[in-house]
Amino acid sequence: MATRILPLELIDKAIGSQIWILMRGSKEVVGTLRGFDDYVNLVLDDAIEYTPDPNDRTNIITKKLDAEILLNGNQIAILVPGSGGPDSLAQQQQQQQQQQS
Amino acid sequence: MSEPTNTGTPQVPETAAPEDTKRTPSDFLKSVLGRPAVVKLNSGIEYRGVLACLDGYLNIAMEQTQEFGLDGQLKATYGDCFIRGNNVLHISSQAKRKTGL
Repeated sequence: MATRILPLELIDKAIGSQIWILMRGSKEVVGTLRGFDDYVNLVLDDAIEYTPDPNDRTNIITKKLDAEILLNGNQIAILVPGSGGPDSLAQQQQQQQQQQS
Repeated sequence: MSEPTNTGTPQVPETAAPEDTKRTPSDFLKSVLGRPAVVKLNSGIEYRGVLACLDGYLNIAMEQTQEFGLDGQLKATYGDCFIRGNNVLHISSQAKRKTGL
């Protein structure tokens, strides 16, 4: 039987690495994961917050949070371990397009 | 009076002993207690002040509180204020922060 991996184990493995957090209501956060608890409240370092501009939803407001933060787990929808978030995703797509052309 | 004994109720096994690199939300909360911090609510409003008191629901009692609106402008100041935990998006230790936004 294949070994099973619990969801929280997956997050535990991501400690110390970059993690991309998609929140309810189209907010996103990227940061270095320092720790978490059973409610999936997260402690993050060097977090960057991506929020859609309330006046112009196509415009994304990027905000660097220099200090360590505790992110409330109840707004968290999806965690992507090892990802640098929307910016690095766009870079990857650009690179792939360049390789193809 | 009898000593409280371990009732042997099944519990979720704790992940291995906490490493030095790991920093759980409760570690974080202990470290920011009594220190200046920024609390951001789901609505986007920010409160800066000294964290006087905290609990597990992220209910917060804050002193010397400054309220900043969505535009980053100072909206109000409070000597003491209570923030109900369900509104809290994140708590940031204010160590490396500038006073402005």
